[in-house]
Formats: sequence, C-alpha cells, structure tokens
Amino acid sequence: MAPEAILSHLHRADGSATYTHNGYCIIGAVNGPIEVLRRDEMPEEATVEVNLRPAAGVGSPKERHLETLLHNTLRSIILTPSIPRTLVQITLQVRSLPDEDSSTGVNPSLTLLPHLLHTALLALLSASIPLSTTLTAVLIALPATNTPTASTQLLSPTAIELLRAKPIRSAHVFAFSGEGKMLLNESDGTFSYEEWDEAAEAAEEVCCREDGGVGLAEGIEVDGREGENLDDWLRSVVRTKVEQEQRWKSAR
Amino acid sequence: MAATTAALRDPAPAAAAALTFPRPIFATVAPHPFLQAHLAAPQPSKAPLRANSRTAHEFRRVGINTGSLTHCNGSAVVRLGNTSAVCGVRAEILDEAHVQATADFAPSTGNETEEDAERERDEMESLRLLVPNVELSTGSTPQHIPGNAPSSFAQTLITRVRSLLLSTSLVRLSDLRILYAPPSNPDGLDAEPEPQLKGYWVLYIDIFYISIDGNAFDAAWAAILAALKNSVIPHAFWDEDLETILCSDDPSEAHSLTLRGLPVPSTFAVFEGKHDWNESGEAEEADWVLSDPDAFEETVCRESVCVVVDCTVGNKGTKDGILKSLEKSGGDVVDRDAMKGLVKRAVDRWAEVEKATNTKP
Repeated sequence: MAPEAILSHLHRADGSATYTHNGYCIIGAVNGPIEVLRRDEMPEEATVEVNLRPAAGVGSPKERHLETLLHNTLRSIILTPSIPRTLVQITLQVRSLPDEDSSTGVNPSLTLLPHLLHTALLALLSASIPLSTTLTAVLIALPATNTPTASTQLLSPTAIELLRAKPIRSAHVFAFSGEGKMLLNESDGTFSYEEWDEAAEAAEEVCCREDGGVGLAEGIEVDGREGENLDDWLRSVVRTKVEQEQRWKSAR
Repeated sequence: MAATTAALRDPAPAAAAALTFPRPIFATVAPHPFLQAHLAAPQPSKAPLRANSRTAHEFRRVGINTGSLTHCNGSAVVRLGNTSAVCGVRAEILDEAHVQATADFAPSTGNETEEDAERERDEMESLRLLVPNVELSTGSTPQHIPGNAPSSFAQTLITRVRSLLLSTSLVRLSDLRILYAPPSNPDGLDAEPEPQLKGYWVLYIDIFYISIDGNAFDAAWAAILAALKNSVIPHAFWDEDLETILCSDDPSEAHSLTLRGLPVPSTFAVFEGKHDWNESGEAEEADWVLSDPDAFEETVCRESVCVVVDCTVGNKGTKDGILKSLEKSGGDVVDRDAMKGLVKRAVDRWAEVEKATNTKP
C-alpha cells in the first residue's frame, strides 16, 4: 500500500502535511521563516527547531532523541544560509500508531522514523522553505533465519509483518537525498557489514533508484509505469496538489 | 593578566602588515578556517594533523580505573583525553510481588536461541531492570550549566545508552534473577522441584562527567563496560521462615556479572572543508572524517557517525567483527564505501579498548 498525504490543510500554519502509511498517521506543521529568540539566533544561518509530540502522553527522552535525528537530517537539506537570523519551526504530532507497534521487537523509534522524515519534508515543501534536495526514507528489517540472504529482507514492513517475522535480528532505517546520497542511517541489532551493505542497496532502490520500487507500490500504476519508488511518489503528491491549486488558472 | 596588559601597552600593528592572529584568537574567531588550515596544510610525507595534533584516524588513548567508589557494587573512572566520566553501578532488589505482570518464567537453558534472546530482552525492558542515568550538568562543560534541567543533548545521550544496553543484551538476565529452589516439590511428586522466581536485581547505572572534551558517548559507554565488569552482586536467597529475600554477608558467595560480548562504540565527526574547484571544474576532495572528535571539532562538524562493533563472537579476534549499531546523521559525505573504512577503524579501536578493559589497573 502506497503512503497517502494531504498538503496545506492547516490554514494558520505556513505549511502543513498529514501523512498516513501502514497505520502510522502523523500531522506535520512548519512555521518559517519566523522570528528567532536572541539566544538561538545565528548570524549567517537559519535556526531549525523540531518538536515532536508522541501519540500518547508527554514527550520523553525518546522523543528528544528523534528530534535530534530529525534536526540533524533536515538541517543538512534546508538552505539555511539563504534565510539567516530566522527560525524554521517544525512541529510533528503523531496521531496514531498501529496496535502492534509496541510488540514487534523492533525499537518503536526506528519504525516511526521514516514516516516522521516524510511528514517533515512534505510540510517543509508546503511551507516553501528553500531546500537543496528532497529526501526519502525507508525501514529494512532482517529477521533471524538460518540462512540470511537478500531475499529474506523485509522492505518497509507493516507492524503485523514484523510481528509475524519475530524475532528480528536487525533493523535499519536509511534516508537518501534526491541525488541518492545517504543522509541518515540508524541500524540496530546484530549484523555483519555485508548484511548492512545489502540492506543499504535495497533501501536505495526503494527510495530513489529509477525503475525501482520493490515491494512498495505493487500493482499501482503511476503514469503508466508500474511500481514507483518513494521519490516518485513524493513528486506525485506535490504535483497533484499544485495541479489542484492551479485548476482555475488552467480552466480555459 | 600579563597578556592583557601587554596588549594594552602595544597598540594594534600597522595597517600595512598582514593580519595575523595568535592561535587561540584564530580558533575562536574563525573555527572552520582554523581547522581547515590544519588539515589542508601541505605535509608531503606525513598525514595531515588536526588542531589537537592527532591525525584524522587517531583515537585518544583510553584510561580506565575501576573499583574506586566505596558504596557501589561496581565503579569505573574513564579518561579519554580531557573527557572523563565516572560510572557507578548499584544493585537493588525488586521483589517479585511488586512486579505487575511477570512473564512466563522459563529457566535458562544452555543453548540460547533467538527466541530466548528476544524473550529475555522483552523481560529486561518491560521490568526496567537496567536503569541508566547520565548527568552532564556537573560543571564539566560550559554548554551544560549546573542546576538546569537535562538538556536535549543529555536526553539524547541517555536514550542512546539505554537502547544500546538493551539491544546488545549486555547483561544476562540469569545474573539478575533471584531464584529459590524449594526442598521438595509442593505437588508431592517425585519430579525435581522447579526453581521459583522470587525477585530480581535492578542495576542503577549512573554516569557523571568530570569534564567533557568531545565524544561524551564513547566515554560513557567505556565507563559502563568497565563498571559492569567490575560489579559484584551479593548472593541473594529466599528465607522460608521470614518469607523475605536476604543477602549473604560472605563475599565469597557473591557473583560478578558475566557480560555478553564487549560492544565498543567509535564516534567520528565529518569535517566539510571549503570546496575549491580546480581548472577542470571538478570539486577537489576536501572532506575529512575525524576519529574521536574533541569539543572544538564537534562545534565545527555537522555530520557524525557512530559505529558499535563487537569482535568477541568468533575466535578470530578482530577479523570476526560483528556490528551492533550504526548511526549516521547530519550530512551526506559518508556513503557506503566510506562507511567500510570507518568500520575498519572501529574494529581497530575495539582491540585497543578491549586491552584497556581487560588489563588490571
């Protein structure tokens, strides 16, 4: 099942996006460039602030860790020198999680991370914050088997698929830029360098390789091409939104 | 004092002279060009040196001293250059009656399957048998003023430490369980009496920083490893008459923790130099990956990588490195090929840290 997204639906925020995929639903809002507190002001760059609110309860150190990861990754793609002495404030609210998320055996921060990155990126695009490139992210899980091969990898699995494949030997989250460079990697578990390399290869294919899209959108045709990769999906979301907004202009 | 009076007496140099800075002024005013000047300095036969006189691949030597704290079950003081941390491990008893939902207790068998490992991890996580805590606001660094609430950096550090402790299954559940073997089977059968679970040892692992000069995570983890290896847990038993858990006073009955492997992290910082394009229009290679960054380098570098390896699994020593965790964020310089080199550096570092933790100080 391909992810779904709605853009610019919050009218009081500069940019917003609600992203839903595999039971994870996250609302993201971006305000920026706005006024920054004197103590956080940077003379030649924009300050990026990420706030993450969990589905239930108040934020804990786990959310701070995710905020740090998101901050580091997003700061590397936002063109901060072009909007100096301002603040780009990104707020992410996790609306819902799949029920099985806490019992998959994989760290829930890892399963949530790719969806947070996509929501944040869509919200940044909606707010027209200058970015140097897009980014896409995916989770790869390697279950414990006697003969681990590339075919046993789980690409962007749902919580139920993870639960069925328990125990999971290692889980990897990769994020790639539009040019195919690795922006983020969080890997946990027990794995060899070869296994990691294969997982990275598979992730790159899902995210941004042309004619990729293994296991993501099977059976869904986009512009006549079956199986799109995440980068294509991202562009199609924005394209649909722009076409919808421009419909009066192109009415005649 | 003498330096400031000297500056007051000597006015600024003539405008015609080139602008020169003494080293510390240069480092404060322009940190990025300062580090760039060090790394890009032409030294034909030698590797480029950083501002702290180390090469890009060089880690600081780790110094470990264990057993210095009297009231802890285990302790260690670790020095990584100017970064030093103290770790104390204290064991407290958690009564089984206070545990809300006990997982089905299964005695550990000799062979550990993946399912057993998974179940053990679940039990340790849900019961919170390991309670790590990190205190950065001790006056160890100007970025963390004492008396403030834990900063985002502190909370991130504690989350990383805790998730690594749980995912590597470093501490064995069998070392923490308090069992009771009844003298005879209550069902009156001839079968061997099943051991009953009466409680757990909960380990409170506290890390205090004496000073931080970069790479707080590696220092914290080295301190935890050394403190856990040094820990001695008294023998706890169930007293039928008093119906409570008692501890034996005899040190010879105490047991130490048998850790599972020895995961060692290596942190790297990526310095993106100024890219000069040469005549053919290609960007010249000007990025360096620095092992074990210090505080100055951490302020200048955006991208960081942390590789956790464990080479105790196989018998071939460092040739059998297994990765336990990989973290990379903040930029796009390190790709898959560069990561291979960093894993190799991390494996070499594993050997150094392994020797340091195993030598009796």
